[in-house]
Amino acid sequence: MSRIYKFLDDRLNLSPLLKEIADHQVPDHANPLKTPTALIYCFGGICLFILLLQILTGVFLMLYYVPSPDNAYAGVNYIQNELAFGGLVRGIHRVGASAAVVMVFLHMMRVVLTGSYKNPRELNWIVGIVLLLTVMGFCFTGYLLPWDQKAYWATTVGVNMVESIPLVGNFLAAALRGGSEVGMLTLVRFYVVHVMFLPALLVIFLAAHFFMVRRQGISRPL
Amino acid sequence: MMNRDAPSATQAGNPGSFYPNHLFVESLAALAVFAATVLAAYVWQVPLEEMADPGDTTYVPRPEWYFLFYFQLLKYFEGPLVVVGTFFLPLLTLTLLILLPFLDTSPTTDIRKRPCAAALSLAGVVAVVALTALSVVEDESHVDKIVLPPITEEQITAGREIFNKFCMLCHAIDGKGGFMAPDLTQIGSRANRAYIERVIINPQIVSQTTIMSVIPLSDAERHEVSAFLSRKK
Ligand code: HEC
Ligand code: HEM
Repeated sequence: MSRIYKFLDDRLNLSPLLKEIADHQVPDHANPLKTPTALIYCFGGICLFILLLQILTGVFLMLYYVPSPDNAYAGVNYIQNELAFGGLVRGIHRVGASAAVVMVFLHMMRVVLTGSYKNPRELNWIVGIVLLLTVMGFCFTGYLLPWDQKAYWATTVGVNMVESIPLVGNFLAAALRGGSEVGMLTLVRFYVVHVMFLPALLVIFLAAHFFMVRRQGISRPL
Repeated sequence: MMNRDAPSATQAGNPGSFYPNHLFVESLAALAVFAATVLAAYVWQVPLEEMADPGDTTYVPRPEWYFLFYFQLLKYFEGPLVVVGTFFLPLLTLTLLILLPFLDTSPTTDIRKRPCAAALSLAGVVAVVALTALSVVEDESHVDKIVLPPITEEQITAGREIFNKFCMLCHAIDGKGGFMAPDLTQIGSRANRAYIERVIINPQIVSQTTIMSVIPLSDAERHEVSAFLSRKK
């Protein structure tokens, strides 16, 4: 292990980089080993962990999933009922989505409780809101993908709500559906948004989030 | 207010270091969440319902639990007010959230000295929790009382009569009746009561070309037949 590291370090000069990432002090008020209540400062890290879990399980689900009305249901049915551990992986992805919502919510509560959105962290708060909306977007688009009755009709209701927005509602709803009814085009675009657009958005804004957290340090109580 | 805690490079190993100490604690917490997630996924078989049928407009969908509060909120805005629930309230919430750091500008971070921010966020949390709870409660009473009253012996007896009168022409039960339609002797073990109700309301959900006709039963009569049939196991 250390020899591999030395090999790489000699050639790529990794140490300064790793130091920058890992070698810093966690202040006592945010350190659960010193202050047990500081566990609330772990919520952000747990969010990250769940999102990684979602990516991993999601990639496995993609192996058997084809986004067309005929194949989507068959694929999920196969994953759920025949594939070894398929039901478990799908279950983790589904429960993980709930866990992500809960943890992001709790993390946000912690930031409000400790007043951490204040100067100079306003920008990171706004980045956080983008992350929240991204997570909600994952939930909304993912719900359609199994293409069962619940998926289909819940999405129909959801998109119909968009229709009631003044002026642009009809246009937005048609753009979401790719037509006048939820159908093949809707499935394909929800799928693409779920596995390409939102992950890209997530990675970009997570990078910004973590860059700012490291740059500004964790807020301290005043 | 920049407060970078001076990273002293050689302190790895003391209890305050990010790596490895803090990362270890953080990993333990994540592991606990992971274990809970896997356990829940294992115990709770994630549902997969029938394949989507765009023709079946009788299906009443439920959103995932974390959207229930919003679903409940929308129930209070009807007709021309719908747009308040679907557009103006979300817009207002989002604007407030984004502006929070610029509205709450006092330098203190102590929650006790920020009554406005504290009250507002508490109100938000309470509203979300209360609406979710309300939605769950209303939902249960909806399924049990309004759509499906509890099954009584009178209902079953009355249901048998209605069945003999309207359904036996086509359906056989306990060895008697027609042969143009599936034998319903064990329908209760194949299908739940809600499904039976939906078939009676709209026979086409069984098949687009079915010969089963829509039989004009009152709500009470329909409940009686479905009570009778759902007990045939
Ligand atoms: C005109 C004949 C006819 C009458 C009258 C009729 N049905 Fe049917 N029913 C059918 C046929 C045929 C089917 C099978 C659907 C198909 O595949 O076309 C069916 C299917 C059903 C099913 C679904 C069975 C399953 O296994 O999924 C139920 C439940 C049912 N009928 C209940 C009733 C009840 C209750 C009545 C009386 C109120 C009734 N039917 C009256 C012809 C009839
Ligand atoms: C997508 C999920 C998110 C992830 C993975 C994430 C991750 C993190 C992490 C690891 C930290 C370091 C401190 C801690 O763990 O508490 C942090 C801090 C922070 N987060 Fe998030 N976060 C997410 C969403 C959000 C949201 C929704 C908001 C608010 C709207 C937000 C606002 C902040 C702020 C302001 C800080 C700085 C806190 C401080 O310095 O005390 N984050 N985030």
